[in-house]
Amino acid sequence: MISRLKTLAITVLGALCFAAAAPAQQVENELVLITPVAKTLTDPTLADFAAYAKERWNITVKTSALAAGTPVAYGRILEWKGRPEADIFWGGESALFDKLAEQKLLARLDLPAAVMDAIPATIGKPKPIYLKDPKGFWTGTVLEPYGLVYHPKLLQRLGVPVPKDWDDLLHPKLKGNVAQCAPSRSSSSHATYEVILQRDGDEKGWKWLRQLGANTGIFTARSRDVPSVVARGEFAAGFAVPSYMAFEDKLAGFDLKFVAPKTAWITPEPIAILAGAKNPKAARAFIEYMLSERGQRVAMERGVFPITPKFRVQGAPGSRAEMAVEFTGGMRSYFDLEVVNIYDDDKAQKRYEQVNEQFRKEIESVWAQLKK
Amino acid sequence: MPGLSRRALGIIGFSLIWLFLIVFILYPLTRIFYDAVSNEAGTLTLANFVEFFNDDFYMRSLWKSLVLGVAAVITTSIIGIAVAFLIIRYDFPGREMFSYLTMLPIILPPLVGVLGFVYILGRAGTVNILLMDWFGLEHPVNFMYGLQGVLLVETVHLFPLMTLSILDSLSKIDPSLEEAAQVTGAKGWRRFWTITLPLTTPGYISGALLVFIWTFADFITPLVLGVQDLLAPQAYLNIMQFVDRRLFRMGIVISALLVVLAIVFVVAARQYVAVKDYSSLSYSRVERRQLGPFQRWLAVALLMLLMAICIIPQVGVVLAAVGRGWSLTPFPIHYTWEFFSQVSIQTPRFIINSFLYSGLALIFCLLIGVPMAWIMARTRAPGRQAMDALTTLILAIPGTAIGIAYIRAFNVPLPFTDTALTSMWIILPLVLAVRRLPYTVRGSFSSLLVVHPSMEEAAANVGATKLRTFKDITVPLVWKGILVGGLFSFIMSIQEASATIFLTLGGWEMIPFGIFTFYIAGSQSQAAALGVILIVVCAISLYIVNRVAGTRVGGLFG
Repeated sequence: MISRLKTLAITVLGALCFAAAAPAQQVENELVLITPVAKTLTDPTLADFAAYAKERWNITVKTSALAAGTPVAYGRILEWKGRPEADIFWGGESALFDKLAEQKLLARLDLPAAVMDAIPATIGKPKPIYLKDPKGFWTGTVLEPYGLVYHPKLLQRLGVPVPKDWDDLLHPKLKGNVAQCAPSRSSSSHATYEVILQRDGDEKGWKWLRQLGANTGIFTARSRDVPSVVARGEFAAGFAVPSYMAFEDKLAGFDLKFVAPKTAWITPEPIAILAGAKNPKAARAFIEYMLSERGQRVAMERGVFPITPKFRVQGAPGSRAEMAVEFTGGMRSYFDLEVVNIYDDDKAQKRYEQVNEQFRKEIESVWAQLKK
Repeated sequence: MPGLSRRALGIIGFSLIWLFLIVFILYPLTRIFYDAVSNEAGTLTLANFVEFFNDDFYMRSLWKSLVLGVAAVITTSIIGIAVAFLIIRYDFPGREMFSYLTMLPIILPPLVGVLGFVYILGRAGTVNILLMDWFGLEHPVNFMYGLQGVLLVETVHLFPLMTLSILDSLSKIDPSLEEAAQVTGAKGWRRFWTITLPLTTPGYISGALLVFIWTFADFITPLVLGVQDLLAPQAYLNIMQFVDRRLFRMGIVISALLVVLAIVFVVAARQYVAVKDYSSLSYSRVERRQLGPFQRWLAVALLMLLMAICIIPQVGVVLAAVGRGWSLTPFPIHYTWEFFSQVSIQTPRFIINSFLYSGLALIFCLLIGVPMAWIMARTRAPGRQAMDALTTLILAIPGTAIGIAYIRAFNVPLPFTDTALTSMWIILPLVLAVRRLPYTVRGSFSSLLVVHPSMEEAAANVGATKLRTFKDITVPLVWKGILVGGLFSFIMSIQEASATIFLTLGGWEMIPFGIFTFYIAGSQSQAAALGVILIVVCAISLYIVNRVAGTRVGGLFG
């Protein structure tokens, strides 16, 4: 008798639970990112998102990030041909997101208007940097510059002043001490090459880049290797992006600093849902979370800047947020200042292969002579 | 009709093996060749190759790759032959220990070796910092960044292949040949040049071929050292940037070219060896000579020096794994276990996946490889020559090419399902098994050859059934060979990165992929910690191999 009652009670309870859980079933229990963004940023945001999903929907979301440089991520998405192994593509250049959208490999975001309206359409003059896609396929998540990393102690050894602008990399005493990644291998390096070319014009720009080639001690395989070799002190300075790992080295205890020259290009770290994603609801929820104050706060502790003027990087003294402010030279929000942008992405994308070809001809294949 | 059904069973098994080889080796390779001779629109063209051969940079890369490969063969020959002779012909203190230690460099996982070297010999490595701090050197000595660094890493990593191959041939030389030479007056160097050396030619050639192709196909070492004008790094770099589709296509073209060149080298070497194979099949007991007291310690001192150089990468990696923020000091200042804890206790999946996938790969290798060896050694089945050639070919195909070939070939839904093989984790053990199959086949094959069929026949004559013969006669005689081959497949699987790097999806990460992700995410310390774990796992496995097989591992590479 008792056991029958028990069974009944369990059945009723079970049914009630099921009924209660059904409407709250807002997201799938899995989420996969493919991203060039470093683990220091993806791990904490994913972990906190999982906690948030647990609180809000009582669902345990199994999250994971597939680490891949921007070009590799882009290539894999192409190869997946609409049957993606990830739900979200996060990070890199917005032009690639536009290309993916054209090929129908992205799903529309369809986020609440209030969320999207908090993000300004563009930042920077004279050339605007788009912070979200007018067509609604991607949105920016955080802001960060493509700038320079350097090793203060090694520069001191070499007797070279701390760099402030691109031109400081041409210092004669830095010969053999600059690390860079070829523009044909890295989209962030490519963007920085374009910044120089668009700042100086083609002729002077290539001359400048050849001089940089002469100072270069290593061409790394990926742009992320640049902060690695600089952090170790193998080389003294080079191009880098904070969340692609420069800040990670700082957190790992290395003596490394970052500076964004005035004309450095700023990426909004676009994010998009892949068409055909297995977990579209979780993907949408993650993006909404990233744009919320909670998500932005987590990101701000990792050396990147908020995407909306609503927040500024701020924390208790000695906190990661304050370390990040110190690492990036004291700035707290890009909306505090006049952002200069001379980089025209349309122009860059139209001649993408041509710049690579010219790099091969003028720098890569004659590097040995340049160094003499 | 039990005879017929057994025959049918044999045919089914034989067909299944061929099906496996065709689906998982020949088909993907065909796919990559198709990609190499077609353009984005899918029309057949040779334009890609024309572009390659008209491009100065690519031609220089090809030339430099060939030079580097030859240089590595020379350096590994000098070290490898010297070590092999010392170990097999002479007695000196610690001989047994050195025969194990000199095998160890082979288990340097990709990336870990070169990183370890950079920590010690890099521009900010221990040696340069000491030179600058103590001896006032102004600019660091460039040990590493350039071809010289690549050659150093490859030499240290690969000389054991040479040693093992030579050891194998040396142990197969019939001592009576050398005695005959001695009697007829050929002594010392003359005997060495005219008798001993020619007898080791087949082993030497197979070792040299492996060193050459390995160096030729390695992209990781040159990339870390900033040497990009070599063929393998160009293939990798071009493929890994997917944005510029023309460069991407060139990457595939170069991969296909690497495969073609590897095939050419293998065929050439086989032709050469076929003419010169004098070795007997059985291992002979080798008489060891006692060295004089001075020579004895000289031998020990030389081997110790060699070991000191070989241990550089391990020392570097261990220091990096326990050091925090190590930069511009000879040794780390702050020490921590946090990196080990992060990569093992906090995220055990690298280790679990590694054992799971390599273990499965080992099972595949045994299921496919042992029957293959049996067919090759015991039957006259048609196509067994092709099987043999295919086994050698697999050894020669660069991992990058296989990875790319798999991604191009298996990214279509499997028949009757809507899932592609590339989205199922089983593809990792599969690709590992294919890549490392030759070791199992060779190991089993050589021990099957040593067991004369007459022993099995004798058992059958006294009434033992086939199964009983197999269980009581064949297995006890050949299990060592199978075990050694299998374990070697396992060791090489668990270190594999070049093919899996293209195929790994979230959650499938093995240790080498973890090393890569940590490295490219800038967490070199975590990468180093994983590297140390992998080295320890492999060292233990290799120790078992060494205990079981002694010096006979070399036969695996033939």
